[in-house]
Amino acid sequence: MTFEIPKVSYTGKIREIPLGREGKTVIVGGESCYPFHLFEGEMPNPPKIAMEVYDSEPEDWPETAIEPFADVIKEPAAWARKCVDTYGAEMIALQLAGTDPNDKDLSADEAAKITKEVSDAVDVPMIVLGCSNVEKDTDVLKAVCEVCDGRNLIIGPVAEGNYRAIGATAIGYKHTVVASTPIDINLAKQLNILLGNLNVPDEKIIIDPSTGALGYGLEYCYSVMERIRMAALIQEDERLQFPIISNLAREVWKTKEVKVPESEAPLLGDIKKRGILIEALTAQCVLFAGADILVMRHPEAISLVKESIKDLMTGK
Amino acid sequence: MVICVAENINIMSKTIGPAMKEKNPGPIQDMARVLTKNGADYLDLNIGPARKAGDEMMDWLVRTVREVSDLPLSLDTTNLVAMEAGLKANTQAKPLMNSVSLQPERLEKGIPMVTQYKADVIGLLWGKEGMPRDANERAAMAVDFIYQANEAGIPTSDIWIDPIATPICVDANQVLSGLEFMSMLGDIAPEAKSIVGLSNISNGAPEDLRPYLNRTYMIMLMKHGLYSAIVDGYDKELLSIAKGERPEHVKLVHDIMDGNEPDPASLDQKELEHYKTTRVLMGKVLYSNSWLTT
Repeated sequence: MTFEIPKVSYTGKIREIPLGREGKTVIVGGESCYPFHLFEGEMPNPPKIAMEVYDSEPEDWPETAIEPFADVIKEPAAWARKCVDTYGAEMIALQLAGTDPNDKDLSADEAAKITKEVSDAVDVPMIVLGCSNVEKDTDVLKAVCEVCDGRNLIIGPVAEGNYRAIGATAIGYKHTVVASTPIDINLAKQLNILLGNLNVPDEKIIIDPSTGALGYGLEYCYSVMERIRMAALIQEDERLQFPIISNLAREVWKTKEVKVPESEAPLLGDIKKRGILIEALTAQCVLFAGADILVMRHPEAISLVKESIKDLMTGK
Repeated sequence: MVICVAENINIMSKTIGPAMKEKNPGPIQDMARVLTKNGADYLDLNIGPARKAGDEMMDWLVRTVREVSDLPLSLDTTNLVAMEAGLKANTQAKPLMNSVSLQPERLEKGIPMVTQYKADVIGLLWGKEGMPRDANERAAMAVDFIYQANEAGIPTSDIWIDPIATPICVDANQVLSGLEFMSMLGDIAPEAKSIVGLSNISNGAPEDLRPYLNRTYMIMLMKHGLYSAIVDGYDKELLSIAKGERPEHVKLVHDIMDGNEPDPASLDQKELEHYKTTRVLMGKVLYSNSWLTT
């Protein structure tokens, strides 16, 4: 008797979403199987990594994360160019953390100006993420949409509290939205339904079901992503058949474990290696849960994950 | 026919809560009258944990409701002193104790009260380790409860087993295992009755949409011989389903459960609501707050 490997049969497929400006688009999604189950279906577009750039100089990063960008850390446009030219970034994720009213409270105009500069400096697809303050993000992202008219940015987070205003603006200026929900599959589906009702086209939606860092609730986030993929591929739930983005770097690099020096916690080992590995492992986990876009920070963590994606895609 | 226990006289209610605390009979009696007129079979009197003077409150509440309604009462509190005060005050119609769980201290004190006051009792399948995880754990707990109650002299026909419903927006699998257990209960203990708190299923859903989930869920439970349900006594449609007045909707839902799916295009508005809700509750379609309109 010969042994046959049991196979899952899929009835659904993830939508293919083109990101970035015309002529330079990168396509994500398109899976017809669980992540890397290439023996059961297809993953026409391997997961992509977007490198983070911040709107202003970060103040609470550990040395490990600053070092690769020390020469450009005050200039977002130069920072983005370095990511693309030196580190081969496939996408840029501009984090508008400085717009947070509890941080630097940069205005919508300032944020839009920075976004425009970064967008002019690189031609890879660009994700622009606000500070997760519902009101402030509405103002900021509307301004961002306007100055980058037609460049098909990926803007977010678009949440239940501001999806109407941001969604409508995104439609007007032809951008893609990141639909964000707090670790809950039912809410994720609901927001996608609402965006559909608002007439945001299906090929303009990416979903962010939230990510925690390794050791900080990652398993809950993993489980929700996994269930989203199951509903999309097995139950043909068309309001969940969207590519998933995982905004993981900012979660990883704020944990105690990447910051505490070896002198204080010798058991944690070399501080540099530690941060890079926690970021790479968090990324690896969400890849297996179904993430299509990883927002990452450290070039060495990124090359580890890229290598892994390559191996998984070629079946090595 | 499903026996309907109206859940509305509840200390959590914005009007009834203050009335209970101030011992103001007006709003409570008004509500009891309406629920009785709507066709409830039992009135649940829920005073919550009632840590302070619970006995006084339950005694007063039973007497107050009794002045305006002859319906049997379901006494709902985790305070067993208050429970006993309610049982004492109740002078007509066999009362229902809501509830006794499988937690050892509750069993130990609750069971003797059932025999002493010749009450019916809700056997809540909540054990030492909390909620049962699947149909088999529910079955084991039901057997355990019935055995212990029988030992104390309570006939099985006085026991109303509550398998505990959990919200659809938490986990559809739990909904399915509750239904699966209901299909087993008749074999495990044919004389035992059953009761399900319907509103639990719709906890977390938008307020105006909750009745849709509660109604279809009750119909699904009816397929497995549901004896009684704790219901919103203002939901007249639900009450009419319970009284057997909507056989066509019951048939539709039961057909879907049997795998005979109708063509959605052939359904009218009301049927379509049942169709969509059944599919959500069966876990075929993932729940979202817009489940009725997608």
